[in-house]
Amino acid sequence: MIREVLEVLFILLTGVMIVYMVRHYVFTLSVLRRAKKLGITKPATHTTYAPSVTVLIPARNEERVIERLLQRMVELTYPKDKLEVIVIDDASSDNTGKIADAYAVRHEFIRVLHRNQNVGGKGKASALNAAFKSSRGEIILCFDADYCPQKDIVEKLVREFDDAKVGVVQGRPVVLNEPQNIITRLVALERIGGYRVDQEARNSLGLTPQFGGTVGGFRRRLLEELGGFDESMLTEDTDLTFQARLKGYKVRYTGEAECYEEAVDTWKAYWRQRHRWARGHMQVCFKHTWGVLKSKKLTVKEKIDGLLLLNVYFMPVITLLSFVVGVSLIIAGSSLLDSVLWFSVAVSFYSFVGNFAPFFEVGIGAYLDGRTRIQWLAPLLLFAFLYNIPICTKAFLDIAAAKMLRASRNNWAKTSHSGNGNRYIAN
Amino acid sequence: MLPNCRARGMGRQAKLTSVGRYLVFGVFLEVVALCLLFSFRFISVGSTIMLLVFNFLFVSLIFQLNGTMNRKFVLLALGNIIGLFWNFIFSLFSAAGIAYFGSVFSVFYSVVFPFLNLMWIVSFWSLSLSALPKPQGAGEVEP
Repeated sequence: MIREVLEVLFILLTGVMIVYMVRHYVFTLSVLRRAKKLGITKPATHTTYAPSVTVLIPARNEERVIERLLQRMVELTYPKDKLEVIVIDDASSDNTGKIADAYAVRHEFIRVLHRNQNVGGKGKASALNAAFKSSRGEIILCFDADYCPQKDIVEKLVREFDDAKVGVVQGRPVVLNEPQNIITRLVALERIGGYRVDQEARNSLGLTPQFGGTVGGFRRRLLEELGGFDESMLTEDTDLTFQARLKGYKVRYTGEAECYEEAVDTWKAYWRQRHRWARGHMQVCFKHTWGVLKSKKLTVKEKIDGLLLLNVYFMPVITLLSFVVGVSLIIAGSSLLDSVLWFSVAVSFYSFVGNFAPFFEVGIGAYLDGRTRIQWLAPLLLFAFLYNIPICTKAFLDIAAAKMLRASRNNWAKTSHSGNGNRYIAN
Repeated sequence: MLPNCRARGMGRQAKLTSVGRYLVFGVFLEVVALCLLFSFRFISVGSTIMLLVFNFLFVSLIFQLNGTMNRKFVLLALGNIIGLFWNFIFSLFSAAGIAYFGSVFSVFYSVVFPFLNLMWIVSFWSLSLSALPKPQGAGEVEP
């Protein structure tokens, strides 16, 4: 009896994994076909649309990196009379506020919002809400303090809003400190798979690309309708993505709008960042699954992909579970394991790494980017995946414990930035 | 007359080249088929499944990238040969392990078998991409 139950469970779990693999295979195929059709670089569409823009930069103890971003803000080619930059000094204990103030004195379009220890330090959503209230732009863009955008990135992001139905736009982060060590190289690979293929495919297939909370923006009207970011969410970006779609707004991805980010460079920092992402994503999953299912504004394919996206951080847990069940069945001598199902477990171990892109997706993404050597590290992504198993399992247990204890407070684990990316910026 | 003769000669040469190319493709396909057959007959069904997974991903994705068909067929055949040898070596290792440790080793081998195979598939896949010419207009992303 137990064996039969385990066999049914194993079939169900591998079924879910096969669905995810097919999804990624379709994404990869779609991006390849598109690249063949359009050429590698998407032709730029010119527009005269130039609305007023506010750039929000939440920063907490970012003295090592904030100057790089502020300097880039000064160099932006977007008309300065239509641009407003608000730095949110979120209860920093270092010189972040002073550096930002120095820029604000020299440049009229830069403002600094200082938040003291009483009101600040409650997470990114809280900081963004505070700045949003005092912002004036029709379009709001967000950049994390460790980012270094292209000089014409505002134009590239903003032109997507020319379509009145577009509520949210996402650009592409590229790892700046990739050569630093093996962790930054693996993160770069994950980013390639996640953005060059996954996001682009979702955009071109008419699905919903995901807003990443940085290198992107949203329409002022949308956030006003929503009453600001939900501060109880750890991933306010994913929450905004689904809220926007459920309100009937479109979410767009534009790969041309590249911005260079400083990737985490230690396993400890990787754990903290991914744990926050996993926990936040699971919160959003619990919040929006039902809404996605019953929404009349989403097509069937959008609903299916939306549900798969919402549940993606459960996949390392499911893969681990299917592995444990599979091994138990092998030991019990089940004939089921002679089938192709067992192989799908193994393939899945390479299918949910980092930003949840399989090796073939990462490889094709790197190829399309013209990267000739970085994909040699693809076999090492297995270690990143193995590391993600305890991260996602812990995030799941934390969420379950919080639900049981009815605890609503989130501990915001901020990613610290070393400023090592500065040395990779070409002068 | 001379240009006509030359044109006819070049046409014949092109036809021969084309026939030759198909013959070469045929040889490589035969190598792939033989690898599948050998793995099924002399190693295990599992190894044939892994070769099929590799062939499916390779043909459906890598064949769409830049580069001549010859190069892609060479890589495909090479991948199959490597996969066949990889599986053959590990099957010998498994036979030795079972003889020494008993049937417990057979369970262990069943568990690790797909993962061992993924090591060569992912590695070969990654290396193959480097053997193909870069797409036009793509360059290393520079800050």
